[in-house]
Amino acid sequence: MNTSTTRRVFERLGLFTILMFVTATLIACAAAPVPPKESLNAASAAIANAEQAEARRYAPAELEEAGRHLKAANEAVAVKDMTRADRLARQARVAAELATARTEAAKAAAINKEMRRSAEALDEEMRRQGDTQ
Amino acid sequence: MNIQSLLKTVPGKKAGVALVLSSAFLAGCAMSPTSPEGSEDVRADLTELQRDPDISTHARVELRDAEAAVELAEQPVGSDEEALAAHRIYMADRMIEIARAKGELRSLEAERELLGEEREEARLDARTREANRAQAEAERARRSQEAAAAMSAREAEELKRQIDMLEAEATERGLVLTLGDVLFASGSAEIQGGTNENLEKLVNFLDQYPERQVLIEGHTDNVGGAIFNQKLSRQRAESVRQYLTNHGIDNRRLSVSGYGFERPVASNDTATGRQQNRRVEVVIENRE
Repeated sequence: MNTSTTRRVFERLGLFTILMFVTATLIACAAAPVPPKESLNAASAAIANAEQAEARRYAPAELEEAGRHLKAANEAVAVKDMTRADRLARQARVAAELATARTEAAKAAAINKEMRRSAEALDEEMRRQGDTQ
Repeated sequence: MNIQSLLKTVPGKKAGVALVLSSAFLAGCAMSPTSPEGSEDVRADLTELQRDPDISTHARVELRDAEAAVELAEQPVGSDEEALAAHRIYMADRMIEIARAKGELRSLEAERELLGEEREEARLDARTREANRAQAEAERARRSQEAAAAMSAREAEELKRQIDMLEAEATERGLVLTLGDVLFASGSAEIQGGTNENLEKLVNFLDQYPERQVLIEGHTDNVGGAIFNQKLSRQRAESVRQYLTNHGIDNRRLSVSGYGFERPVASNDTATGRQQNRRVEVVIENRE
């Protein structure tokens, strides 16, 4: 065994050790119970948004579902089940977004109905005016 | 003891075999890489939505997101990852519903634009019609005004012609027509027989202007007493009235007075003057 071979062995060992450390750190990090803050914040924002859009009036079931998911997500955080918490938070967000979308569609339908009604009224009025001519 | 003898000793062995077989079957299923249960439902929903032309044109981005979510939900998961599969299916389902709602919303908005245009058109139509109507009315008013003006001009002309024909004098009391004493025999109130051109013209005129009131005034010269002359002037005026009513003029339009020699128009000193003073004046009042 000459010195160059020995050095190469040590270099390899050093590299291996560094890699081991990195892997260990990553595993430790992953295992540490960090709450899914981003998902939870996004869910809260989406619910607030839906409430702002009057979802309580136009899509109450969807809004309530979102609230239920967010509550369950927070409960999962409390028992350190972060995977479950993250999924529930995402579900809360998507449910709130659906509440907003349905609210907006319902409002648009109401507006169109009113417009059609007033257009018909106008038509009717004009027809009557035309008749008196 | 082999398996066969074991099965034989157990009561209800058929059920046992079925149980074993079905477990094996289920295990096999879980092992093979198939899509999670429920994923075909979201796929069907998505396909239906993608075929809807309204939704697919108005919710392109949302449909693409939903497609990605459905594809993820179709990914096989490990047998211990049922919660993950359920989560993915939930996400896919909600995203499909979001795409549906957004598509509806935008279709409605597009329709609203159309409705707004229609309404604007209708309003414009109404306004045009109104303007046309107003114009037509103004035109009609102008024409009738013109007609009225033409009519009154014609009437005025006609009246002037009639007055000229009557040889009457326009005064502030009205048109004054003087019937000379040739009408009566001296000292008599009888209108002399035969046709009298002036009286015929008067009848014609009064026929044409039936709303005009008429004063018939008798006058004399100063020969004879005042009472006699007053009486005579009155009788002569009455004779004219009689003539007019006989010719169809309404008696109510006619009033009669006798002034005797109170209102001479010339000197009674000469024969010509006295002749001028012996007269009946017919005053046709101006229209009120």
